[in-house]
Amino acid sequence: MKRPLQALAVLLGLGIAKLPLEQACTQHLRQAKLLSAPLALGLRENLSQMGFAASLGGLRSLVASITYLQAYHEWENVNWAKVDSLLQLTTSLQPGYANYWDDASWQMAYNAASHYLYDEKLQPLVRGKLYEEHVRRGIAILKEGLRYLPDEARLWNSLAEIYERRSHQPELAAEAYLQVHRLSQNNRYWRFAAYQLAQSAKPELWQRAYTMLRESYQSPKQRTPSLIDTIKKLEAKLNIPFPQRIPDTTPLMQIPATEAGPTR
Amino acid sequence: MHSSFSPSRIWTLAMATVTQLLRMKIMAFLLVFCVIVVAAGFAFPVMNPEQQLKLLKDVSFGALQLFSIVMAVCATALLLPRDLEDRTLYTILAKPVPRHEYLLGKLLGVLVLIGAGLILMDLAFSGVLWLRQSLVLAQSVNALQQEGTATPEAIAQLQAFVGKQGLTWNLHLGVAAIFFKAAVVTALTLMISCFASSTLFTIVISFLVTLIGHGQGLIREYFLTGHAGAVKKGLSALLAIITPDMGAFDIVDNVINGQAVTLTAFGFMATTAGTYLLGYAVVSHLLFVEKEL
Amino acid sequence: MAADSPQPPAVAVENLTKVFKAGLGKAAFTAVRDLSLTVQPGEVYGLIGPNGCGKSTTMKAILGLVIPTHGRTAIFGRSSTLVESRREVGFLPENPYFYKHLNGLETLLFYGRLCNMKAAELKDRAREMLALTGLEDAADRRVSGYSKGMLQRLGLAQALLHQPRLIVLDEPTAGVDPAGSRKIRDLILSFKSQGITVLVTSHLLEQMQEVCDRVGIMAHGQMVRQGRVDELIAVENETELVLADASPELLAEIRALVESKGQGAKVVRSGHPRTTLEKLFLEVADQ
Ligand SMILES: Nc1ncnc2c1ncn2[C@@H]1O[C@H](COP(=O)(O)OP(=O)(O)OP(=O)(O)O)[C@@H](O)[C@H]1O
Ligand SMILES: [Mg+2]
Repeated sequence: MKRPLQALAVLLGLGIAKLPLEQACTQHLRQAKLLSAPLALGLRENLSQMGFAASLGGLRSLVASITYLQAYHEWENVNWAKVDSLLQLTTSLQPGYANYWDDASWQMAYNAASHYLYDEKLQPLVRGKLYEEHVRRGIAILKEGLRYLPDEARLWNSLAEIYERRSHQPELAAEAYLQVHRLSQNNRYWRFAAYQLAQSAKPELWQRAYTMLRESYQSPKQRTPSLIDTIKKLEAKLNIPFPQRIPDTTPLMQIPATEAGPTR
Repeated sequence: MHSSFSPSRIWTLAMATVTQLLRMKIMAFLLVFCVIVVAAGFAFPVMNPEQQLKLLKDVSFGALQLFSIVMAVCATALLLPRDLEDRTLYTILAKPVPRHEYLLGKLLGVLVLIGAGLILMDLAFSGVLWLRQSLVLAQSVNALQQEGTATPEAIAQLQAFVGKQGLTWNLHLGVAAIFFKAAVVTALTLMISCFASSTLFTIVISFLVTLIGHGQGLIREYFLTGHAGAVKKGLSALLAIITPDMGAFDIVDNVINGQAVTLTAFGFMATTAGTYLLGYAVVSHLLFVEKEL
Repeated sequence: MAADSPQPPAVAVENLTKVFKAGLGKAAFTAVRDLSLTVQPGEVYGLIGPNGCGKSTTMKAILGLVIPTHGRTAIFGRSSTLVESRREVGFLPENPYFYKHLNGLETLLFYGRLCNMKAAELKDRAREMLALTGLEDAADRRVSGYSKGMLQRLGLAQALLHQPRLIVLDEPTAGVDPAGSRKIRDLILSFKSQGITVLVTSHLLEQMQEVCDRVGIMAHGQMVRQGRVDELIAVENETELVLADASPELLAEIRALVESKGQGAKVVRSGHPRTTLEKLFLEVADQ
C-alpha cells in the first residue's frame, strides 16, 4: 500500500511544481505569437468559447479549414444564411487568421448584398433593405475581426472599401484608411482618406482634406491625376485665394508599373 | 555488482516493442496518410492559392496529430496488459531486468515508433507541399505574364509570398511540437496502464485526461488569476495539478500561419515535455515496481 | 555476505506467506502460508502437491515476480527483491508464452540480450539450445504458430540459455510428448551431474521420484512433508521384495514360507508395486 501512496505524492508534487513552468512556457509562446492570447472577452464567454476551441487541440486549424470549405459549398448553393453561420464558426475557431474575417465580410457585404440588390423576384424596397442589412453585416464582421487583430492593415482596408463603395459613409471610410496608413506607412492611403473626407457632406471636413492633400502635394512623386483633380475641386469649394492655389500645369508623375491597383 | 541501468537492455526491449507494434501492421496508417495528403493537395482547386496551401497544411498537420495521439494512447495501452495476459512478463522479469528498465524500454519503443512515423509523414507531406507550391507559383507567374505585369519585382514578391505559405523549416519544428505532445501522452498512458485493470479503461482515461489537458491552460489561469469561490477554486486547482498542459504544444495553428518558432520557444516546449516525461516515468515506476504479476 | 556461511543455499524460503488481495469487499486469499524450504547447491528439489496448493506462487516469489506478504526468499544468499539475484537463475514458468511476433531464434536472441550476453556467443548458444530442445526445424517459424509442447520446449531453451547455476522449472513436462518428457528427465539428471541446482514441480510423480534428491509436499499453501525421497517413501516396518518373471508357484511358496516361519510377519499385499511417492501424495491430498 505504501508504493501507490508514494506514487500519488509524486504525482501531486509534480503537478504543483509544474504549474510555474507551464505558466512561463505559455507566456513565452504567447509572446512569440506561437500561441494565441486569450480572447479579450468576458470571462464567462471566454471560458466557453476558448473551452470549445481548446478541446479541439491542434486540430482547430483543420476544423476551420473544413467549415471554410463548407461555406464555399453553400456559396455555390446561394444559401447566404448558411454561408454566414459557417464563416462565423470558422472565424471563431481561428480568430487570429485575417483571411477568414476578410472572406466572411466580403461574402456578406459584396456577394450577398449584390445578390439581393439584383434579385428581380423581390420588391425594390425589400431589395434595398436586404442590401443594406448585408452590408451592415459585413461591416460588423470586420469590426469583430479588428477586435482580435487591431493591427491588421488588410482588414482596415477592407473596412474602408466597404464604407466607401458599399455603404457610402465617407467619414468612416476616411478613418479606416487613416488606420491603414498608420499601419502600412504607405502614403497612398493618406490620400485615399483625404479623398473620402472631400466627399463628405460636412464642409468642415473639406478643409482637413485640403490640408492633407496639400501635404501630399509637397512630394512630386505623389502628384497623381486624382490628387490634382481633388485639390482643384476643393480649392473651388473652399474658395481658396488664387495665389495659394496649386499651379494648373503641374507635370504629372510617372506611374511606376509595379504599383498595382487603380491610380488615384 | 549488477548494473541497474543498462542502455543496451533498454534498447533491446525498445526494439522488441517496435517490432511488436510494426508487426501489428500499424504503419498501414502511413499509406492512408499519403493518400489524404495528396488528396488535400490537389482535390480543391477552386480557392485562392494561399487558402489552398493552408488547407494542405491543415489536413496534413491534422493527420500527423491524429496519428501521433492515437498511437501514443492505443499502442501504449496495449503493451503492458498484453505482456501481463500473455505472461510474457514472467520470462522477461525473471531475467536480470529491473522493472524500470522494462518500463523505459516500452516507453522508448513507442517513442521511437511515433518519431519514425512522424519523420516519414513529414517527408511525404513536405514533398507534396513543395510540389503544390511550385505549381501555385507557376500558375500565378503565368497569370502575371498574361496580364503583362510580370516584372522581376512582381515575380520576386510573389515568390516571397508563396514561399512563406509553403515549405519552411518552421513546419518541421511544428512537427517536433507534435512529437513532444505525443511523448507526453505516451508517458501518461503508460502511467495509467500501470494501475488500470483493463486496456479499455486505460484508453478511455488516457483520452479523457488528454482532452482535459487541452483546456488545462484555461483552468490553470482561472485558478491562478480568477476570482471564484473556494469550491470552484479548489476544483480547478486539482484539475490543473493532475493534468498536463497539452495546449502548450499546440503551436501548429500559428506555425501554419507562418509564425516563426524561436529557439527559446523550442527550448521551453522541450523542457516542459521533459519534465512531464520524467515525472510520469517516476510515478509509473512506483506503481509498477511492486505490482503483482 | 555473512562470513559464517561460505556456501549459501541455492534457494532459501523463510516463513513465506502470500495473501492475494481481492477487490474491495471481497475476501483475501492466502495462497501460501508460512512456508519454509531450503535447496542446497547441486541438489534437485521437487515440489509437489495438488492443483492450487501454491507451488507456482512459491516459485514466483523466489523469482521476485510476486512480493511476499510475510517472510523472505533468497537465491544464492541474495534476496529475491534484488535484481542481481536473478542473474544466475533460469526460470521456466507454467504455460510459458512469448512475443508471438518473433520466431524461435529471435526469441532466444531477445532473452539472451536481456542477460547481457555477447552477440557472437549468444548466436551459437541459441542454436545449441534449439538443438537441445529439438526445435531446430521450428527456429524460423513465428512463435504464434507453436504448439503447447513446442512453447514448453522454447521456454526450457530460454531458461537454460545463459548457463545459470540454478534452474527453476514449473511443470516442465506439461504438454510435452512422452519422448520429450523423458528427454527432460535426462536433462535434469545431467544438470545434477554438472552440479547445477534444480527446483522443479511436476505432476509426473514417477519421474520426480527418479530425479529428485529431496521433495516437499504442499497442500493448501503449507508444507506438509519434506525430506529425502528415499527416506520419505521408505515405510519403516515394511519391506518390499520386487521379483521379475516369478512364476505363480514360486509366489505361493514364498507366501507359505512367510506364514510358517514368519514369526509374526505377514504378507500385507502382493501384486505390481505402486510408485510410493504417488501413494504418499494421495495420502497427503486426502487429509
Ligand atoms: N494473482 C493471483 N490472484 C489471486 N489468486 C491467485 C493469484 N495467483 C494464484 N492465486 C491463487 O493461489 C492459489 C495457488 O495458486 P498456484 O498457481 O500457486 O497453484 P499451483 O500449486 O501452482 O497449482 P497447479 O498445480 O494447478 O499449477 C490458487 O488457489 C490460485 O487461485
Ligand atoms: Mg502451478
